[in-house]
Amino acid sequence: MTALAFLFAAVLGLVLALLRLAGGWVGRVAFLYIEIVRGMPALTLLFLIYFGLAPLGIVLHTFAAAVVALGLNGAAYLAEVYRAGIQAIDPGQREAAQMIGLRRPQIMREVVLPQAVPIVLPPLGNYLVSLLKDTSIASLISAPELMLRSRDLAGTYYLPMDYYLLAGAMYLIMAWPMMQGVRRLERRFGRGRLQGGRP
Amino acid sequence: MNAWITVAGLLPVLLRAAIVTLEITAGGFMLAVLIGLVFALLQALRLRPLQVLIAVYVDVFRAVPVLTQLFIIYFGLTEIGIRLDPLPSAIVGFGINGGAYLTEVFRAGIQSIHQGQMEAAQMLGMTRLSALRIVILPQAMRVVLPPLGNFVIGLLKDTALASAVAAPELMFQARTLVDKTFLATQIFVAAAVIYLAMSLPLGYLTRRAEARVARGRR
Repeated sequence: MTALAFLFAAVLGLVLALLRLAGGWVGRVAFLYIEIVRGMPALTLLFLIYFGLAPLGIVLHTFAAAVVALGLNGAAYLAEVYRAGIQAIDPGQREAAQMIGLRRPQIMREVVLPQAVPIVLPPLGNYLVSLLKDTSIASLISAPELMLRSRDLAGTYYLPMDYYLLAGAMYLIMAWPMMQGVRRLERRFGRGRLQGGRP
Repeated sequence: MNAWITVAGLLPVLLRAAIVTLEITAGGFMLAVLIGLVFALLQALRLRPLQVLIAVYVDVFRAVPVLTQLFIIYFGLTEIGIRLDPLPSAIVGFGINGGAYLTEVFRAGIQSIHQGQMEAAQMLGMTRLSALRIVILPQAMRVVLPPLGNFVIGLLKDTALASAVAAPELMFQARTLVDKTFLATQIFVAAAVIYLAMSLPLGYLTRRAEARVARGRR
């Protein structure tokens, strides 16, 4: 679920970032999407997609609904991450590329994006960690993941402490190596980690 | 169309629940700031065993989903005889979880102040603690403000998870109303709009505060 939602968010986020930077009415639509989705809880989006679409005749499987909701939610965050990465590239580079006769899509693909990658990588990693944790909310629409199974077991044996601590430990085992990886990336690319908070 | 009119009638219920959302946000925020500030200061004092303990707290609580933490506090603690009401569980859960994030934020803020300032303050005869309090912290506040603002917005949205431990906030009330009326689309859209109405102004305020701080720093 984490992997699928991440792919979804990474691709849609890039499209949104490029649209937003393109300006015009497309840019405004992308901006609106980003602001609205970032302004509401992932849980609300999840419920809108799973329960809210049902009366309109769109019934999604719990797993699919969770992937779509987390993906749509993540895309809005990643669009901002990509935008920051793209804008961090010196405009002189773009001008120089124009001078030597590259076309705009070419400039984006061959000059700007490759340089934005190292800037974007650490926040992308942070996003992956928080996405992994956010998949736990999919248990609230009964998608069959770790948290739901823990709730089942905790309810069956009436040992809530044990099973929720176990679930916590399992998340820790998955998330901690990722966090270390992100730290290494940050050190490697020499960027401070001021953003704190949740992405 | 009728459904929307029904939902308009339910709006006061949702708005009252939104106030509970704000209460949880405010309570969780205050607890998180307290924990974050105290722990970051303790860490800056460089006492080895303490530093390790705090680092473990920060890593563990940032690596485990808030939802899991809420479940441990609300359901798990009953197993050892501690029974918290939904609202306090939510505030404690978000406070402890947020404390881990804010410890990092404050630590980064403190570290961003040039070391020479600490040395100069100690030269003047201040202890490390009073140097931190009087010299370093006020300057660190500037650096800390933007991530702090982002944290509040994130927290506001995260409080939706408190619905899973039956805290009577916006999302919980929305779910209850959906169960009663079956108007899932309309009610969840209304809830989303209310969240937007709270988080967008907060985002605007954060950006303004950031701009002001940036101006003050030349």
